[in-house]
Amino acid sequence: MGDSRFTQQELPACKPILTPRWVISTFMFVSLVFIPIGVASLFASRDVVEIIDRYETDCIPQDFKNDKVKYIQTPGEKTCNRTLTVPKHMKHPIYVYYQLDNFYQNHRRYVKSRSDKQLRNPNSENDASACKPEDMANGMPIVPCGLIAWSLFNDTYSFSRTNQILTVNKKGISWKSDRDHKFGKNVYPKNFQSGKLIGGANLSSSIPLSEQEDLIVWMRTAALPTFRKLYGKIEVDLQEGEVINVTVENNYNTYSFNGKKKLVLSTTSWLGGKNDFLGTAYLTVGGLCFLLAMAFTIVYLIKPRRLGDPSYLSWNQNPGGH
Amino acid sequence: MNQIIINLETPEIKVLEKVGEKDAIAKASKESVFRQISEGKAQFTASSSKAFALIIDGKSLQYALDDDMKKLFLELALGCASVICCRSSPKQKALVTRLVKAGTRKTTLAIGDGANDVGMLQEADIGIGISGVEGMQAVMSSDIAIAQFRFLDRLLLVHGHWCYRRISSMICYFFYKNMTFGFTVFLYEAHTSFSAKPAYNDWFLSLYNVVFTSLPVIALGIFDQDVSARFCLKFPLLYQEGVQNVLFSWRRIIGWMFNGLCSAIIIFFLCTNALDPQAFNKDGKIAEFQILGATMYTCLLWVVNCQMALAVGYLNVVQHICIWGGIGFWYLFLLAYGAMPPKISTTAYKVFVEGLALAPSFWVVTFFVVISALIPYFLYNAIQRRFFPTYHGMLQWIGHEGLSDDPKYCKMLNQRSIRSITVGFTALSLGKNQRWES
Repeated sequence: MGDSRFTQQELPACKPILTPRWVISTFMFVSLVFIPIGVASLFASRDVVEIIDRYETDCIPQDFKNDKVKYIQTPGEKTCNRTLTVPKHMKHPIYVYYQLDNFYQNHRRYVKSRSDKQLRNPNSENDASACKPEDMANGMPIVPCGLIAWSLFNDTYSFSRTNQILTVNKKGISWKSDRDHKFGKNVYPKNFQSGKLIGGANLSSSIPLSEQEDLIVWMRTAALPTFRKLYGKIEVDLQEGEVINVTVENNYNTYSFNGKKKLVLSTTSWLGGKNDFLGTAYLTVGGLCFLLAMAFTIVYLIKPRRLGDPSYLSWNQNPGGH
Repeated sequence: MNQIIINLETPEIKVLEKVGEKDAIAKASKESVFRQISEGKAQFTASSSKAFALIIDGKSLQYALDDDMKKLFLELALGCASVICCRSSPKQKALVTRLVKAGTRKTTLAIGDGANDVGMLQEADIGIGISGVEGMQAVMSSDIAIAQFRFLDRLLLVHGHWCYRRISSMICYFFYKNMTFGFTVFLYEAHTSFSAKPAYNDWFLSLYNVVFTSLPVIALGIFDQDVSARFCLKFPLLYQEGVQNVLFSWRRIIGWMFNGLCSAIIIFFLCTNALDPQAFNKDGKIAEFQILGATMYTCLLWVVNCQMALAVGYLNVVQHICIWGGIGFWYLFLLAYGAMPPKISTTAYKVFVEGLALAPSFWVVTFFVVISALIPYFLYNAIQRRFFPTYHGMLQWIGHEGLSDDPKYCKMLNQRSIRSITVGFTALSLGKNQRWES
């Protein structure tokens, strides 16, 4: 019974031991792998062209600069004209995002405030208990219920360059799995934004939820308080130096909580959007490992003390036994 | 070795015994024992560099264990390298064990093979019964049973050492992995204005300790060996690591928790800064809660499991399966869970298939975060082995370099920490090698 290698604890095993050779080679290997990846990532990020335009303060007319909340809450059109200059040639598709700062879409009670059942199934429209207080209005259930849907972003942007309108493609901006499986093809908005407080955009009752892509994008809650959401795609190239005129409908109230609103136009690379962080971090860690490898080489060369030298028995402070 | 013999075979006592008065005998015997113990103690305190052996028989022991004398007796006994109590009754054996246990507050071990040892075995913290010639009485009342007395050294030096190391490694690692996990969640909380929204999907959270990180720890607790059995026997000083509680000191525990803290910080900040707020794939999609949570969790599992692979010194086939299999199982779980209808999988629905697997940034970020999180520990390990090697580290090195058969080297390692004391192993080796000052 006790004779196999397993029970005698003699299974073959590898016993890695951290010799100087291993230490130096590991650090060198890491730096040799990281530095090229870092360079590639940095190049990918440099290739991306990004235009960011913060507009929420500038889009308040002079008269209302001291009472922005009042301005945003007055009904009517609040148009704002912005100009963007293209710094480098941008290849299509150019993605248009809106970026919000200081907006906690990841707050637990906000995230909870939705009913996935209702979104999928037209017969489950009464399943709105998790959506309080945005569950019922005028005695009828709201479809789609909840705070997330209620606070749907409603600024709109239209682009033009030298009297030619740039169409923004708003199809395909959401994830396919959301369109096909989470938002029903026969669920229509009902009783939406009909209460006293209006939180955001209104939804057309004749378009099913699976085609309301702005809503789908908005309802996929962001991870952090500063986030972007895809608004649409521009399917033509933009040349360097071109001036783009943007007509912004400034409807969304971020002034009550000092949030920021930004309009972002960005191309993408194989790695995604513009972020030097990954490339820089790779290069930093790779460089650090290289320095460590050099440092360890010097240490091992200067003082080639064998690790097994017993004069380094540091733990035995007390005489053995007491 | 100098011997201190305490017995009642003196002529005076014999005379009294012939007379037969019980009170007189008892009084005289007690005084005699007291005198002998005091003399022995005087001898012992006079020359503290010599090794002494105490020999006491059952009759004298009866008086030595009286309440008013047992403290003195214990002091004498503890000062000697070896104590032999011959011709003692089972009750006396148990009483002696109890005296040592209560007086020194150390862990006591008793070993015996007969029915007369049962009391002693049960009294000691660890009772070892030897099965064999005298029957199974001792075995039935013992904590551990062995077949022959000579197996004791293997039991202590090999299995005792391994067991100590396994338990302390396992507990330290447990603290580490939960610290890492909990702290990533905490850091995320700070970004949700502390509204208690966890960073990961519910089932990810629940299954972390139960499924994804449980098997490697179990394998660590069962299989880990820092030094091979042969070496444990060859260098008995290694056992001192357990006696002096080197591997489970507060410093070590806090060190591991700090490691968990660093790993968590690295994982969280690298993931969030690399994936937010810009698009993370070629189609311009943004890494929102689902994507970020799944990426962070993947990095977390990789880091925690690879840390295990780095920290143990012994990777057999079972541990390989547990560690790498555990990571592979995570990907399979992501696929399976993501394929379940959204009613069940909520935020993890198709997250891997649709979002993560096809995005190069996911793989690039995971690779980067995992290696970066392991570098601090690796660096610490390299420096420690170079400048502050532990005893078992040095033994591993010897085994690796093949110096284990060099008798001079081995002797140097064995003797190095011996100072001029006279108890325990030291005294034994002194006695063996005849190196005491005469």
